[in-house]
Amino acid sequence: MRQALIRVGAIVRKEFRHLGRDPRMLLAVVITPVIQLLLFAYAISFDVDHVPTLVIDFDNSPASERYLQQYEASPFFDVVAHGTSLAEVDTAFDDNTARVAIIVPSGFSRTLASDATAQVSVLVDGSEPNAAKISQAYSVALNQLYGQQLTREWADAQGLDLSSFGLLEPRIRTWYNPERRSSDFLIPGLMVVILAIVTVQQTAVTLVRERDLGTQEQLEVSPMRRIELMVGKLLPWTLIAFLDVALITGLGRTLFDVPLRGDFWALAVGAALFVFASLGMGLLISAIAPSLDTANIMAMLIAFLPSFLLSGFAFALDQIPVFLQWISYAFPARYMVSISRGVFLKGAGFAEVWPELVSLAVYALVMLVISSVMYGRRSSR
Amino acid sequence: MSDTPAISVRGLTKAFGDFTAVDGINFDVPRGEVFGFLGPNGSGKTTTIRMLTGTLRPKSGSADVLGEDVVRHPDKVQRRIGYMSQKFSLFEDMTVDENLRFYAGVYDLPPEKFASQREYVLNMADLVGRENELTRNLSVGWRQRLALGAATIHEPELLFLDEPTSGVDPVARRQFWDLLYDLASRGVTLFVTTHYMDEAAHCNRLAFIYRGRIIAEGSPGEIRADHMEQRIFDITTSRVDPALQWLETAPGVDEAYLSGASLHAVVPADSPFSNARLRDRLAAAGFADAEVEEVDPTIEDVFVNLVSRQR
Repeated sequence: MRQALIRVGAIVRKEFRHLGRDPRMLLAVVITPVIQLLLFAYAISFDVDHVPTLVIDFDNSPASERYLQQYEASPFFDVVAHGTSLAEVDTAFDDNTARVAIIVPSGFSRTLASDATAQVSVLVDGSEPNAAKISQAYSVALNQLYGQQLTREWADAQGLDLSSFGLLEPRIRTWYNPERRSSDFLIPGLMVVILAIVTVQQTAVTLVRERDLGTQEQLEVSPMRRIELMVGKLLPWTLIAFLDVALITGLGRTLFDVPLRGDFWALAVGAALFVFASLGMGLLISAIAPSLDTANIMAMLIAFLPSFLLSGFAFALDQIPVFLQWISYAFPARYMVSISRGVFLKGAGFAEVWPELVSLAVYALVMLVISSVMYGRRSSR
Repeated sequence: MSDTPAISVRGLTKAFGDFTAVDGINFDVPRGEVFGFLGPNGSGKTTTIRMLTGTLRPKSGSADVLGEDVVRHPDKVQRRIGYMSQKFSLFEDMTVDENLRFYAGVYDLPPEKFASQREYVLNMADLVGRENELTRNLSVGWRQRLALGAATIHEPELLFLDEPTSGVDPVARRQFWDLLYDLASRGVTLFVTTHYMDEAAHCNRLAFIYRGRIIAEGSPGEIRADHMEQRIFDITTSRVDPALQWLETAPGVDEAYLSGASLHAVVPADSPFSNARLRDRLAAAGFADAEVEEVDPTIEDVFVNLVSRQR
């Protein structure tokens, strides 16, 4: 046992030496995550507010004016222009001076006065789908608000005290991320992407490099067992993966005030299982890939892209095509993104994320078994 | 214990699919010998080494290494053998010292053992004072010696060397063989594969492997005597290519091939050719400057001859 530890230690020490001697590698595993974090959190914002808005009032009544004031007052909309014809909508959308147009038809106040449902056109520039969707939602919410306000006025006019019913106090809430800050949403997901890159890519590449150098051949004739070599190779990357988790959590908390509401240990266990699953994938790639370049591309394809696109990180999973949703189940990232956001934002603990933890555990086990078998087969030929 | 041969192989066979890479070979390597395992590329040399070092399972046959059955118990053997490949297996981004330390860790040497072995290896490889130099900055000859040091850091009783001198200049090859003799004089058995035929003469014993079969075995002298009934003429001329073409079809010449800068012509043992008569024939064919001298067959001549007989 002591001898096995000496042998594993020799590999671990060597791996860290490689890392220390290769500034690019160090850059890839420590500096890149930090840069990605800053880039995503500062530069790429999915926040939607101050949407430039064009309003056109064909009714020109006190009622329509009051309705449009709702938009003026809202922080989500910036009324940038008052138009007089529909043609201005096209121009404004083309010039990007406005993304939303609110059109109040003539007869608006008359319809309201006759207790019928009044219609307002809300045109949304769909060329930026994310902003479009949110603007639409806000506009609907404002309309409801206005509707409620009208009801209240009607009640006032009838001499009823509605506040005693407590029915009409308007509230709009976004749960879990009340300020709708995208950094809160992005950073827990980004952690998963970074973990996937560090573990899958780096393990695949270091193992293939060992084969190319002929050093693996050398180790096979030594007393070192294959399992010792594997543990020694994977241990440093496990450590670095956890360093990255700590780094991202720390920076997210201090720089971006990302809350950590849930059970930290649930996150840690999830991250550990995810790392094992990813190491298994890396091992599998190294067993299959004939060259370093192929290993790199394969790692890109099965680690980076799915964890970026099919995990819920960049696109909500219920909004991608159904067949892609099915594919997403085949990659561990979706489970981990769900755990990470659950713990960070929803205050989840083991009780809430156990289904994902179990999925990851099964995934990790299957991956490590398959890849060890493949790895063994490859080197015995 | 030590009168058992270092290696004893019986009927060893390995097939990859339909291709039989090693086909029922037999040989013994006595302890303390330098055993040369010769053959062209793809003839089964590396496959044999991999079976003898316990990294490849044979299809059939037995292989005893240092008295242990290496097929069944590779772990009993692996600590006592060393292996050096033509790739040298060094980490170029690590220093001389770090490489040695790494291999010492792989063989879990205790620290005091490592200290003395390190001392020995650095002296042997002439690397004292360069311990902290990156391996990638060493020239090929130094790297080769360092690789030998790393492969022997655990003092193996038997060392396998797979084409250890390929890509190394002649001077460095010479120095390397001196180191191998030094190891042999300390009682280490050496199993060396090479395709440099001149190196074969450095070995105590040789085996030729061709298409997975051993076609000759013995000391260099025995092999020359046993397998070379024919006579060899060494021919130098300024017009090498046309002369070779002429010789290949000349009556009374069994075979002709390039050997270094000159040509070798093989004739039957009872051939009437002498130096003068062959020179006259060459002059008559238009090679007036040809010089002819009958020579003793080299290992290379024997090997070319053996291979041509197999075809």
